[in-house]
Amino acid sequence: MEQTEVVKPETLDDLIKVLHKIFESDTINIEEVQNIVEAYESKPQEWMKFAKFDQYRYTRNLVDEGNGKFNLMILCWGEGHGSSIHDHTDSHCFMKLLQGQLKETLFEWPDRKSHGDMVQKSQRILLENQCAYINDSIGLHRVENVSHTECAASLHLYSPPFQYCQTFDHRHFYLRCNGRCFTV
Amino acid sequence: MELFPRITKGNPVLVLSRLQLCDLNLDHVGEEQKRQIQQLYLTYNSFSLFPTSICLLSNLEHLDLSNNYLTAMPEDITRLANLKTLVAKNNHFDETSFPKHFGTMHIESLNLSGNRFREIPRQFLKLSRLLSLSLGGNRLKSIPAEIENLNRLEMLYLGGNMISSIPPELANLRCLRYLVLCDNCVQSIPPQLSRLHSLLSLSLHNNLLTFLPREILSLVHLQELSLRGNPLVVRFIKDMTYDPPSLLELAGRTIKSRNLPYLPSDLPANLCHYLDMASKCPNPKCAGVYFDSCVRHIKFVDFCGKFRLPLMHYLCSPECSSPCSSNPQSDTESEEESSVPADRLQRVLLG
Repeated sequence: MEQTEVVKPETLDDLIKVLHKIFESDTINIEEVQNIVEAYESKPQEWMKFAKFDQYRYTRNLVDEGNGKFNLMILCWGEGHGSSIHDHTDSHCFMKLLQGQLKETLFEWPDRKSHGDMVQKSQRILLENQCAYINDSIGLHRVENVSHTECAASLHLYSPPFQYCQTFDHRHFYLRCNGRCFTV
Repeated sequence: MELFPRITKGNPVLVLSRLQLCDLNLDHVGEEQKRQIQQLYLTYNSFSLFPTSICLLSNLEHLDLSNNYLTAMPEDITRLANLKTLVAKNNHFDETSFPKHFGTMHIESLNLSGNRFREIPRQFLKLSRLLSLSLGGNRLKSIPAEIENLNRLEMLYLGGNMISSIPPELANLRCLRYLVLCDNCVQSIPPQLSRLHSLLSLSLHNNLLTFLPREILSLVHLQELSLRGNPLVVRFIKDMTYDPPSLLELAGRTIKSRNLPYLPSDLPANLCHYLDMASKCPNPKCAGVYFDSCVRHIKFVDFCGKFRLPLMHYLCSPECSSPCSSNPQSDTESEEESSVPADRLQRVLLG
């Protein structure tokens, strides 16, 4: 499989162009995408127009509809905002910090027999410009802005495009479809 | 390093962030220009002393001094009669830092998160125009009852402190829409909080809650409720402590549950009064009553049609349960689902 030359995308528009090119093919190289997304150095003036914060919870803001193979969105997290524990419904999910920090907690998939709490696998803090990757085979995760003083903004790439995900809690036999994507 | 800011004519916003400033000299700025400045950003500098020249900007409405080394706010700050928003996150302020008359200011939004407050200063509670108060990430151990004086308050962010209890007076903040108490040591929620009829979002994650008061169900406009990271009871409590009722109570229960009529001419006044005090068992399928002897009971209630939350209430006896099911958990579901509309709470973040 041919790999696109790793050229550092200088602007957000550059990054979007490169991603369109990469996703022309039907298969993608996860590491390649992760490296390219991480290589873009966040410049707030380039993405601020997409970053609509909500006082009460995190928001999803569409940046690019991709070519039907992926979509790109910016998530805005106010102080203390966090997500539920969720899956990625058979999609690749890349998450890059554009501003601030986010805590990612990984969980095991619950099995039919377990009646107790969700089993935590690991936890980490993602710093500005870092890019994380997750898919269903890796597990479920919760993402939170644990800061009480700073907001956070993250760039998310989903392939296939994001429409909904399932939510889990410690009584994991309850599943729920989450909200839809909000467009700018 | 001193900087002589060039103020663009007509632009009311002055941004002097990340310039390693420890001093601010506005001598060269004309009176006319000083009056023009409405917003001033001095974030991420090296101020350890408050630059008092700011107090000459008579029309200043928005001041952001976040990420400096400030320890005190001068008396002269009160000269900023038009100041509506004051942000000074991540400094070294504490409850002794603010001048006595700070409470007379017309500030609407105050953000002092990331400082060293051990208590909420009295002056803050006098800011009658305050709509939004943030003291996240400080060292607060409690919330004073006088918080109720901030009667226009819509947003109260107290996450990331060491608060162990919530005063019932908080419930008098009738305009409160957003209440954040996450990352504290709260052990219980006063039932009076159900009076916060304007509340849209309640953040309680990472505390020490084992249950919620049943009254929380009446927060009809609540859209967001976070409860993860609390030791919430997850299993139905089977062993409940129960002091057996007295003969008086047993007799009283029989009279009430069988609707035996009684009149003051039949019984001594004190017994009539006692019978009138009977409480109806909250279990809708139970026709029982209780006087003093009841069982404290954790009941799981479906909040949004999917999640079940442990709420505290009282039953007339440990045997009180629906006669149709032997499984208390499913019994809870069938009882409560019909009484709590599924759309009442849209999003609950748990576990």
